[in-house]
Amino acid sequence: MGRFLLKRLLLMIPLIIGITFISFAAMSLVPGNFVSSLALDPKISPQVLKQMEAEFGLDQPLMIRYLRWLWQVVHMNFGVSLAYRVNVTNLIASRAANTVLLALASMILSWAIAIPVGIIVAVRQNSILDRTLSFISFLGMSVPGFFLAFLAMDFALWSGWFPVGGSFSPDYATLDTWSQVADRFNHLILPALVLGLAGVASLMRLMRSQILEIKHAEFVRTARAKGLSESRVMYKHVLRNALNPFVTMAGYGLADLLGGAALVETVMNLQGLGLLLLTAVRSLDVPLVMGSVLMGTILLLVGNLLADIALVAVDPRVDFSTLASQ
Amino acid sequence: MIRIRAVLFALAALLLAAGCRVNRPPNDHAATQTLYDSMSSDPGTFNPLLVTDSASNAAIGDLFESLVRINPQTLLPEPGLAASWALGDGGKTITFHLRHGVVWSDGVPFTSRDVIFTMRTIYDPKVPNSTVSSMLIDGQPIAFAAPDDYTVVMRLPRPFAPLFYSVGFPIIPAHILEPDVASGAFIHTWGIDTPPGKLIADGAYLMTRYVPAQQLAYRRNPAYWMRDGSGGELPRLRGQVRLIVPDQNAQYLRFMVGITDVYSPRPEEVNGLRENAARLHITVKDVGIDTGSLFFVFNRNPRHYVAGTVTNPKYKWFTDPNFMRALAHSIDKQGIINLCFRGLAVPAISDTSPENKIFYNPNLTPYDYDLNRAARILDEAGYRMLRPGVRGDPDGHPLIFSLTTNTGVPVRDQMCAIFKQDLATLGIQVNYRPLEFISLVKALESSFDWDCVLIGFGGTIEPNDASNFLRSSGNLHVWNPSQSKPATPWEAEIDSLMDQGTTVMDERQRAPFYWRIQQILHDELPIIETVRQAEYIAYRNTIVGYNPTVWGLYKPEWMEFRAQ
Repeated sequence: MGRFLLKRLLLMIPLIIGITFISFAAMSLVPGNFVSSLALDPKISPQVLKQMEAEFGLDQPLMIRYLRWLWQVVHMNFGVSLAYRVNVTNLIASRAANTVLLALASMILSWAIAIPVGIIVAVRQNSILDRTLSFISFLGMSVPGFFLAFLAMDFALWSGWFPVGGSFSPDYATLDTWSQVADRFNHLILPALVLGLAGVASLMRLMRSQILEIKHAEFVRTARAKGLSESRVMYKHVLRNALNPFVTMAGYGLADLLGGAALVETVMNLQGLGLLLLTAVRSLDVPLVMGSVLMGTILLLVGNLLADIALVAVDPRVDFSTLASQ
Repeated sequence: MIRIRAVLFALAALLLAAGCRVNRPPNDHAATQTLYDSMSSDPGTFNPLLVTDSASNAAIGDLFESLVRINPQTLLPEPGLAASWALGDGGKTITFHLRHGVVWSDGVPFTSRDVIFTMRTIYDPKVPNSTVSSMLIDGQPIAFAAPDDYTVVMRLPRPFAPLFYSVGFPIIPAHILEPDVASGAFIHTWGIDTPPGKLIADGAYLMTRYVPAQQLAYRRNPAYWMRDGSGGELPRLRGQVRLIVPDQNAQYLRFMVGITDVYSPRPEEVNGLRENAARLHITVKDVGIDTGSLFFVFNRNPRHYVAGTVTNPKYKWFTDPNFMRALAHSIDKQGIINLCFRGLAVPAISDTSPENKIFYNPNLTPYDYDLNRAARILDEAGYRMLRPGVRGDPDGHPLIFSLTTNTGVPVRDQMCAIFKQDLATLGIQVNYRPLEFISLVKALESSFDWDCVLIGFGGTIEPNDASNFLRSSGNLHVWNPSQSKPATPWEAEIDSLMDQGTTVMDERQRAPFYWRIQQILHDELPIIETVRQAEYIAYRNTIVGYNPTVWGLYKPEWMEFRAQ
C-alpha cells in the first residue's frame, strides 16, 4: 500500500503542473488582461493603466508569469487577487464554507433519495411504479437546474414558507447560536433540493441498472442455490456489489464540493464559489482563477485516490497490486 | 418496507424543516432607523484613493468627506470639509478655509495636514489612482500649501474652472496612513480584509461589519460635523445595511418581501410595482433619465483601414457625412424605446444628457427615423443598389460591415438586431458579432479591429472630465483614439473649445463652448446617439426625506423612517 500511495502521489506532480499550465496559457490567449476592463473609465489615464499592469506583473511574457506563479505556489502562497487585492486563499475560504455546506447537503439529499428509489424500481422492474419513477427521473434530468431554482424562488415568494434565497438572514449576526443554526438550515432547504434533485435522476438510473446487471450474475445464482433467503441475497450480495461505482463517484464528488454551481447560485443568491470564479474568469483575475483551478485539481486527484482506497476496502476483487498496475 | 422507510424519512425531513423556526426579535427597520439596501457586487477595496469600481464607491462613499461636494439638484459646488473658499490672482489661487471641529473617528481632529497628505498621495507616482488625471492642468500638477491648520492654498498654472469638480476627492487621515505611503505599502492598505473598526473615517456613517458576499453594515457617526437647522444631529438614520445580491431578480425579490427598503427597478418591473404600490405600501418615483450616453460609433481610424496605398472602402463610408447622415436617419429610436425599454426611455439627441442642466445643448435638431429619406440620401450620394437587396458605394463595393457590442446585456443585443434589420431594408448588410467586454475594449483601444460598436459611457457633470473622449489626443476618443494631431478641422475645433471652456470661471459663460462641441458631434456624426433610459426608484412609504436624483441622493443626511 505504501508504494502504491507514493507512486500515485508522485504522479500527481506532473499532472498538476500540466493542468495549471494549460489553464494559465488558455487565460492568456484571451485578448486583453485584467486592467483592460478599466480602460473605458474616462477617469483612469493610460499611464495609470500601465502602472497597474506593471504592479500586477501583467506586462511580462507568459512563461515568466507562469513560473512566478508556480514559484509562489511552491512556497504555499497562492497570490493576491487582482480584483480584490487580498490573498486568494482568504477569498476562496470566505466563500468555501457556503459552497461545501450546500454541496454536502444536496449530495446527502440526492443519495438518500436516489439509492432507495433505485433499489425499489430495480426490484420491481417494468412495473407501473418503475415506469412512473423512470419518467419522473428523465424529466428531472432534462430540466435545467437554474430553471428549478426560479421555480423554487417563486414558490418561496408565493408560500412565504422559505426565505427567498440567500444563505443567511440580514440580521444573522444578532441571533443566538441555536437560531443561527436554524436560520442557516432554513436557507439551505430549497437550494439543496434544487441541486439535489438534479442529481437524483442520474444516480437512480445508475443504481437501477447496476442492480439489474448484478441480479443475473452467477454469484447471485449461487447464493440463491445455497438456499439463502431473497432479502439476504438482495442486501448481502446484490446491493454490496452494486454500490461499487458509487464509491468511485463519491471520490469525484469531493472535487464537486468546491466546484459550485454558478447559475443556481446566482438565481438563489447563494454566496458561493461558483459566482466568484465565474466573475474571476470573465474579468481575467488570473491569480484567483488559478488558485481555484489548483484547489479543484488537487481535490479531484485526492478524491480519486481515496475512492480507489475505499474500493479496495469494499470490493474483495480489487487490491492495491491490481490498482497499481492500471 | 424500504419504501415506507424512505417516505417516513422524507416526511421527517420536511417536518424538521417546517418546524425550524428562527427565534429572533422583530426586525423593524423603522424602529431601529436602519435602512436596508442591496448592491450587486463585493467591493474591491476600502481605500478611497484606490477605488476603480462602483461597488467600492458604494461601500465607502459615506465614510469619507471631501473639501467640496456637488449639490445633485443645482449641480453646483457646495461647502464640505472646506467651509468656504476664495479666488485670488485672477483665478490662479484658491484659498480653502477648512471647517473647525471635524474629528476623525479615533478622536484626532481633521486639519490641513490631512488635505496636504491626501494631495501628495494622489500625485505620488508609486500610487496608481484615478484621481490624478483630473488634478493635472495641461499636464501640470497643482501647487499646494497649508499656511496654518485650517487653511489650504492651491496655486494653479492658469485659471481652471473644472477645479471645483476635481477637488471632490475623499480626504484620508494623515495620522493613520502616512507610514504606509512612506513605506510604499499604500497600494495594499485598507484592502477588503481590513477590520471595519480600523477604517478611520469622518463621514456620516462608520462601517461596522463586512461579511464577504453577504453584507456591509454601518452605524451613524456620532461625531459627524453636519447639524440640521435646529442643531439636531445628522444623519437621522441610525444605521444602514447594504446586502450584496449579485442577481437583479434576487434584489427584486428581496424588496418585494420587505428585506430591503429601496430598489431601482428595471423597465419591465416599473409598471408592476406601480400597480401594486398601494398594496405593497411603496412609492415608485420617477428619478430622471440616464446621465450617460449609449451610442453607435463608427471606426474612422486610418491606422486600421489604410495600409500603404490601399484604403479599405469602409474608411471612405464612415468618414462620408452623407453616409453617416443616412445611418442616423435609420435608427428606430421609438421602436427601441418600446421594444427594449417598455416605453420607459427617451430618444437621445446630444451626447450630453438633458439631466446635465448646466451644459446640455437643447437646440439640436433630432435625426428623425425615416428610411425613405435615408435611402434618398444614399442614392444622391452615389450609393446605389447593385442588385435587389444589395447596395454599393460609388466604386461598386457592396456595403457590408460588422457590428459589435459587449455580451451579456440583452437590451444591447436587441438594439443591434433592430439596427441590423433596418439597414438590411436599405441594402446594407451588417454582420453582428457580440464580444466579451474585455475583448471589445482591447479591439477599441489597441487592435482597432472593428467597424461599428454599440457602447455606453457614463455621464459626468463637468464636461472636462470627458476630455479623454472629446479631445483628439484622448485614448477614449473611440472613433480614432490617441491622435498626435487632430485629423480633421472639426476635431481641431473641439480641442480648442475644450481648452477655452476651462479658462472661464462662470458656468453660464462656460456652457456655450460645450454647446458648440455637442453641435459639432451632432453634425459630423462620429457617433450616433440612441436612447436614454428613464430611471425609477421604489421605496417604502415609511421613509421620509428621501430625495433620489440621477446624480445621487439630495440631502441624504435628512432621510429617515417616519416616527410611529
